[in-house]
Amino acid sequence: MFTSRNVTARVFERQIRTPPPSASVNRARRFYENLVPSYTLYDVESPDHCFRKFTEDGLFLISFSRNHQELIVYRPSWLTYSTKDDSFVPLPRRASRFDSFFTQLYSVNLASANELICKDFFLYHSTRRFGLFATSTAQIHDSAPSPEAVPGVPSIDKITFILLRLDDGVVLDERAFHHDFVNLAHNMGVFLYDDLLAILSLRYQRIHLLQIRDSGHLVDARAIGYFCREDDELFLNSSSQAMMSQDKSKQQQSLSGNKEDDSAENGLHHHSQPSGSNSFLSGIKQRLLSFIFREIWNEESDNTLRVQSLKKKFYFHYQDYVDLIIWKVQFLDRQHLLIKFGSVDGGVTRSADHHPAFFAVYNMETTDIVAFFQNSAEDLYQLFEQFSDHFTVSSSTPFMNFVTSHSNSVHALEQLKYMKNKANSFSQFVKKMLLSLPFSCQSQSPSPYFDQSLFRFDEKLISAADRHRQSSDNPIKFISRRQPQTLKFKIKPGPECGSADGRSKKICSFLFHPHLPLAISIQQTLFMPPSVVNIHFRR
Amino acid sequence: MASILGDLPSFDPHNFSQHRPSDPSNPSRMIPTTYRPTHNRTLPPPDQVITTEVKNILIRSFYQRAEEKLRPKRPASDHLAAEHGNKHFRAAASSSSTTQGL
Repeated sequence: MFTSRNVTARVFERQIRTPPPSASVNRARRFYENLVPSYTLYDVESPDHCFRKFTEDGLFLISFSRNHQELIVYRPSWLTYSTKDDSFVPLPRRASRFDSFFTQLYSVNLASANELICKDFFLYHSTRRFGLFATSTAQIHDSAPSPEAVPGVPSIDKITFILLRLDDGVVLDERAFHHDFVNLAHNMGVFLYDDLLAILSLRYQRIHLLQIRDSGHLVDARAIGYFCREDDELFLNSSSQAMMSQDKSKQQQSLSGNKEDDSAENGLHHHSQPSGSNSFLSGIKQRLLSFIFREIWNEESDNTLRVQSLKKKFYFHYQDYVDLIIWKVQFLDRQHLLIKFGSVDGGVTRSADHHPAFFAVYNMETTDIVAFFQNSAEDLYQLFEQFSDHFTVSSSTPFMNFVTSHSNSVHALEQLKYMKNKANSFSQFVKKMLLSLPFSCQSQSPSPYFDQSLFRFDEKLISAADRHRQSSDNPIKFISRRQPQTLKFKIKPGPECGSADGRSKKICSFLFHPHLPLAISIQQTLFMPPSVVNIHFRR
Repeated sequence: MASILGDLPSFDPHNFSQHRPSDPSNPSRMIPTTYRPTHNRTLPPPDQVITTEVKNILIRSFYQRAEEKLRPKRPASDHLAAEHGNKHFRAAASSSSTTQGL
């Protein structure tokens, strides 16, 4: 879009030429080819906190204390100094301090005595600048089975979600879940879409929908799972009162018989409606089963063929369908959810072979299932390949739309096709790709240095997803995509002189600021807490 | 030159020396060609309102797929309601519980 590579020429050109339609952000991003974080300050003396993330608008740096009980928020600022000489001057001594780049705003204690802040969980509501954090008590693996709970899922005594206003650190609202399990690692069990929050309770198989109001309150909107509509519970309760009176007369007759059986029976009846084996399946499971039935029914036109195909495909696997549990949930838009179902022992394993997984699109308003796929379905893969951006729904920040995916970047698509051709079996490849569905919320960094149309870099060493990487001693190169394909900048995560001890494994995490040429790399060995913090910026 | 452009600076002082400002008393003969339709088959309906579709393309493709699956079987859909009663009966008698990859 620019004819010259020189930044001054580009600025002049920007004054007179309008960008191609709806490509103004792409053109503005070209300036990042000229302004790169090429200078590194190694081993900056920084406070001993776990740095988590820059917020999407770049206003805050979120970090947690080492004991996982406090939240410390910094404001990223820029180094300022003035010199009298024109010649190259080394940076002043105070430049290599953490304070020159980040000013601490406040420190808030979020967790009480036996709770710990989950340091992998953070969601940001950008319109109001609210942050959502989670604290939890210890995990109990062999929990007492409760009537509604799925066996095999661990239980946590108390999980609290805390909504905090990041401007000043005031806690606005809290929501606690008791004896429940929500997958908090890397935002996997929670999804934020604009102001709607979906929390998946794995243990009780319920999707709690909450709305974040402008005033900062968390309002319960719906709980999908046993009941699909808000008034289902009322309806069932009112009709169950008639049933209960019939049952009571039956019980009185059997009381005269064997007493042991009756106490168990009484116990079952006196529980609330969703009891174990003898009553209805949960609402969403009913919707799912009826959709599968109707889909198989509609495949054939002849009645006998229908019954045969139903026997083979539906009734043979009926118990497996009934045993499916919800593993992950994502919003597709305000009314539709993408739900991943799997078997109880499947879950979040990386291998997709042995455990069947299914995806369903659920419309919350009409409580209908719209589509149902198995995890090796090729048509779901085609939709994933073409419309991947619509799966990673973005909230209101404009530059989250420009995170590279294989639907919006030719280079990423080429890489995907290369992997597709290299794969041995297409269905294995499809399963591997669909493992990333449903997407986790806010897990990609919006920094333009990860834009594949601007830079080429080694995806194994660094990428937009905020996960720890194995650190290497060689610097990570960012090579420009346009002609000439020269090295633009390097990021070396290790200490300047290299590590003396080559045996210990080091992991490295990178935090890139969304729009400034500023990045932090944190390198730590697995067992020893002190970590090396480097700051990379444009000098 | 008493031109509309005035005395704007330019690199070469002889630029724009040939420019004659348009004189309102002597209108130009140039009439731009206009094209008119010869039929009205392509007129939009008088009450047409164009708005953006609320559902995004991904959701639209899910619904389209569901429509396609239902479409050829429409004449048989009235049998569906009658068969629902069988479902509960069958469920109680379902036998197989072996895990089978689909």
